[in-house]
Amino acid sequence: MSEPGRAGPAEQGRRDAVEQVSAVRPFLLTEGRVVDGEQALPMETQLVATPEALAQLEEPHLAFERRAIIETCRVPVSLAELAARLKLHLNVVRVLVGDLHTRQLLTVHVPRAAGGSDLDILRRVIDGLRAIHTSGGPGHD
Amino acid sequence: MASAQYTRQAGPAMTEATPTATAIRPPQPVKMVISGGFGVGKTTAIGAVSEIEPLTTEAAITEVAAGVDDTSLTPRKTTTTVAMDFGCLTLDPTLKLYIFGTPGQDRFGFMWKDVTAGALGALVVVDSRRLDECFPAVDYFEREGTPFAIAVNAFDGVLSHSLPAVRSALDVAPEVPVVAFDARSADSVRESLIVVLEHALMRARGY
Repeated sequence: MSEPGRAGPAEQGRRDAVEQVSAVRPFLLTEGRVVDGEQALPMETQLVATPEALAQLEEPHLAFERRAIIETCRVPVSLAELAARLKLHLNVVRVLVGDLHTRQLLTVHVPRAAGGSDLDILRRVIDGLRAIHTSGGPGHD
Repeated sequence: MASAQYTRQAGPAMTEATPTATAIRPPQPVKMVISGGFGVGKTTAIGAVSEIEPLTTEAAITEVAAGVDDTSLTPRKTTTTVAMDFGCLTLDPTLKLYIFGTPGQDRFGFMWKDVTAGALGALVVVDSRRLDECFPAVDYFEREGTPFAIAVNAFDGVLSHSLPAVRSALDVAPEVPVVAFDARSADSVRESLIVVLEHALMRARGY
């Protein structure tokens, strides 16, 4: 933190790893805009491309990352999944998704923020996990 | 950001954010967290239960986002990158469980809010030989009131310490479940997640 701009290529981190890079690269895509932490979309937010967006894919004026987001959101995708698949930083994707939503190219389904106090949801998740447990074999499918 | 425009799901039924939305209805997403020290088996556990290969998402934390004074006009502000692993599990066509691993390092506590906000509960994975590494996670979930359980990872099928010994050392509330688990086993991880959810259910009912 004390030496901004000293991106360390020697620090090749893996899992749980940390590296310092210039902010210019990731946030160039957002023209330097960042999201307000309090209003940031939850990572499990579901995103779906609108029919207009899919129509615009035929045209050349949707470029690069925005096009890639629409392509990926042909089927419902979570914000975290979108960021991971496009190898973009989560907060960059948050800004781009906000833009596409404003242009009505992306439907944004924000999850209910019920957490661990929603009895119905808790029961459904427990039942869902149990059903996999009894029907599935060892390992994942 | 103009997130006030986003449609918040009001009930079990999904609502659409724009009148022109597609007929595709995404599942309702719910979230659980797997936490614990570095190398304790978080990613292994996520991989064991996820229906997709675990993905890694990188969050770039600018000093602005981290709550430091406005440096947005400074061209060389620093960005810290934190990698988070996650997987998912479709429980039925209307319900999808996301499982996020929290970054191990304590100094990224500010990321945890992003990962844990709205989570149904958390599993804190513990290596009983390195108990202290789970303290930040236990402290965090206690402070936030997130329902959690302790999963003591049995490396090579062997617990280094008994569950009562781990409970005593961690000094968690008596109602917090402490279970043994094997991060490599899908059944074991699923059962541990169910333990967390049943604990959350008990708490939500007021015990």
